[in-house]
Amino acid sequence: MPEKKETIHMSFFNSLTPTAPNALSTAEVQALPARRPYYEVDETDGGYTLTVNLPGVPKDGLEITDEGGELRIAGKRSNKLPEGVVVLHRESSEAPFELVLEHDNTIDPAKTEAELKDGVLNLKLAKAESAKPRKIAVS
Amino acid sequence: MHLINYTHRNTSPFTRFSGRLGTQDIENELGWLFGSALGGLAPSNIGGQFPVDLYEDKDNTFVRAELPGVNRDAISVEMVEGSLSIQASRKDKSTEGDGTVSFNRLVSIPDEVQSDKVTASYENGILTVTLPRREESKPKKINVSVN
Repeated sequence: MPEKKETIHMSFFNSLTPTAPNALSTAEVQALPARRPYYEVDETDGGYTLTVNLPGVPKDGLEITDEGGELRIAGKRSNKLPEGVVVLHRESSEAPFELVLEHDNTIDPAKTEAELKDGVLNLKLAKAESAKPRKIAVS
Repeated sequence: MHLINYTHRNTSPFTRFSGRLGTQDIENELGWLFGSALGGLAPSNIGGQFPVDLYEDKDNTFVRAELPGVNRDAISVEMVEGSLSIQASRKDKSTEGDGTVSFNRLVSIPDEVQSDKVTASYENGILTVTLPRREESKPKKINVSVN
């Protein structure tokens, strides 16, 4: 599905207001608006696999919650630059990641498996038994 | 279940401009800006550029690159005539062909480095390359006696 056009334009205009690249305090990093990470969803027989790119997010910076039909993935990055360095060029961001996906409550949270490896989160979401197709025998 | 599929390039123009902009980079930046504005219309998982940081302390120059989900064996880092070349590939099941996405980027290193002492580490999907500077290119303090 192609990226929404208005989003592209938004980021285009945001780009014209440069922000201070270095020396962000912890409070400032927390105040940065969360960025939506790149992700993919695939449907499998038993459920869905969700792959989310979260570069710079360690295991303890990751929070996955599923509540009221909303799956929320929040990742705090640990890619702060070391103190005392001189930044010559910066493209990465310290803004946290946040991805919220709506679903119709057909996921079984007890059977959800999550693996974070090399900055990529792999989430296996199992369909709830009630959501699986059932064959009904006709007597 | 209903999931809204939405793709977002990690390499948005916003992050590009949040860095300090040197004059030598402006042409690069503009190319990136337009490339990324148009790139949003193309499948976003096609390989290409990735965000890179360049910073230094008094002994080393550092290059840091966001390369999530790449196998360590599939990363190649080389010094070529004053530039650091970073190449990586990732298996991607959703792409056509052999399913491998390649990334590469050439970063110009401002100072002379000891090419044989370059080290690299990869953690949480971020590659950090440490390039120790040559002695002669480190800043020297010259004492001038004023009479």
